[in-house]
Amino acid sequence: MPDPGVALSTIASGVLLGGMLALAALGLSIVLGVMRLVNLAHGDFLLVGAYAGLFFFEVTGVDPLIGLPVIGLLIAALAIPLYRFLLQPLAERGAEAQMMTMFAVAIILENAFVLAFSADTRSIAVSYAALPLTLGVVTIPLVYVIGFAISVVAILIVHWLVSRTAFGRDLRAAAVDPEAAATIGVDVKRVRMLTFALGAACAGVGGTLIGTAFQFTPASGGAYLLNSLAIVVLGGLGNVIGTLFGGLALGALQSLGGLALGDGYRDLVGMALFLIVLAFRPEGFARGQA
Amino acid sequence: MIKERPVAAPREAAIIAVAFAGLWFAPLVLGEYWLQLGFRTLIYLALAEGWNLMAGSAGLVSLGTSCFVGVGAYVAYGFLNGFSLPLPVALIASAVAGAAVAAVVSPALFRLRGLYFTVGTLALAELLRLLMINVSAFGGASGIFLKSDPPPLPILFHYALVVALIAALALTLCVRTRASVIFRSVRDDEDAAAQMGVRSYRVKLAAFSLASALAAMAGAVQAVKLGAIEPYGMFGLQWSIDVLTMVIIGGMGMRLGPLVGALFVIALGETLADYPEAHIAIAGVILIVLIRVAPRGIAGLASSLRIAASKRAPA
Repeated sequence: MPDPGVALSTIASGVLLGGMLALAALGLSIVLGVMRLVNLAHGDFLLVGAYAGLFFFEVTGVDPLIGLPVIGLLIAALAIPLYRFLLQPLAERGAEAQMMTMFAVAIILENAFVLAFSADTRSIAVSYAALPLTLGVVTIPLVYVIGFAISVVAILIVHWLVSRTAFGRDLRAAAVDPEAAATIGVDVKRVRMLTFALGAACAGVGGTLIGTAFQFTPASGGAYLLNSLAIVVLGGLGNVIGTLFGGLALGALQSLGGLALGDGYRDLVGMALFLIVLAFRPEGFARGQA
Repeated sequence: MIKERPVAAPREAAIIAVAFAGLWFAPLVLGEYWLQLGFRTLIYLALAEGWNLMAGSAGLVSLGTSCFVGVGAYVAYGFLNGFSLPLPVALIASAVAGAAVAAVVSPALFRLRGLYFTVGTLALAELLRLLMINVSAFGGASGIFLKSDPPPLPILFHYALVVALIAALALTLCVRTRASVIFRSVRDDEDAAAQMGVRSYRVKLAAFSLASALAAMAGAVQAVKLGAIEPYGMFGLQWSIDVLTMVIIGGMGMRLGPLVGALFVIALGETLADYPEAHIAIAGVILIVLIRVAPRGIAGLASSLRIAASKRAPA
């Protein structure tokens, strides 16, 4: 067993990372809840955010965390034509055709990243990236704390959007019963389009946060998709605050798994948890409202 | 819904047998390059036939092909290296192992319907890949070598041919006999099928196990050809992506879909061999277009054109 200070620092870092990933997972969750679509390109949307943050920083020199609202809006704007021209025409054909289409989008994006940005490992090198924050025996990177705080604020904003606004009311109605929502005057197509854009924005902002804390490559999307799915399952579908706690739980459990078995087992713990929860509590995944 | 012209099972089996018998002599006339290409096509044909049975006939869209390719590869190496058994025995062991893994994970995966099954298979494949990378008993990230020399390419081609033949004949048995009705009833409405007395769990398990056994055998032959295996390649997601792409492009649920798709995607890959990323991205674009305009793929498109032509002809 490693030194308790190291162990506690590792777990704290894991929890903070889980909190950052929870924002991206929330995007996946609301799209799943409202559109019944497992967006297989979600991990690549996250990478779009990471690359956007990287180039925003390199070109303007402004801290990408200040540029987050711009990055979020940009990615939402990119997601709208994707929904309008690729997904909406397939709406009548069931979830499978839409999922396959997003799978194809994922393949295209991953290879487009390689073509455009090379297969190099990147990270957003903000000036405070390496600064440690020490609290007693616990030492964690400052950038994790900042990313975590921003993620929590963003999740609370989404929570407010979903639970307190007119758009949120339509969103919840469309998630529970689209036909009934349509009969009482909800424009379900528009709600789905905006939900898809909101989900993409969550992934993009989460991606910039993760890009400041971690290295990424064009091939990282798959791992982020699967970790996000694990968080959605742990937190319960359609539960905004639950998703945050799902993220924290996944982060803590991955760190514990890494400490106990070796660092290579971190992601493995996530997959194992995901499959166990799916196998024993599939209703936690398939039921619920957004 | 487009219907293929019905073909009786014995006739189709005979056509397949004749075609494969002809291909048996291909190494006599084909050079190294074409034999390599033929080998790859046959391996993918076996994978795609199994995948098409699962998705097209039983409604199980899997992103877990890589998991069974990898299991087959590692089990074959275990039997070849550990017990010095002949290759055909190792291939049978791989097939059994593939079906066994499918049977073990099915209680968990079959609780997941539709999209959730797809996601579950993706997670399973990733789990196994990470396990193989981390567990040093199986060679870890650096993998393992085959102790004996791999057989020469013409012999390997024959092994791939036999695996593809088994796949093609198994599919004829499944989709050209009364069994096809049972598979389709489960695909179209699992609950209704269960009401009619179809044991949907067993039907899905049969399709899943058969596809997994085929994938494991194909993986084993591919692994023997390589002479050394490691988890990133044998358990790589690319297997799952390639097979799904082939069947969707060729035509999901169409008898000729896997063959058409495998030929198309491999030809595309060869044409753009110098631009591997562009090749995969273009396959993605084709996938999107076909899902939209031709959900039954190239084979479906050809079949509906033929039906349209034959309707016009007598008039």
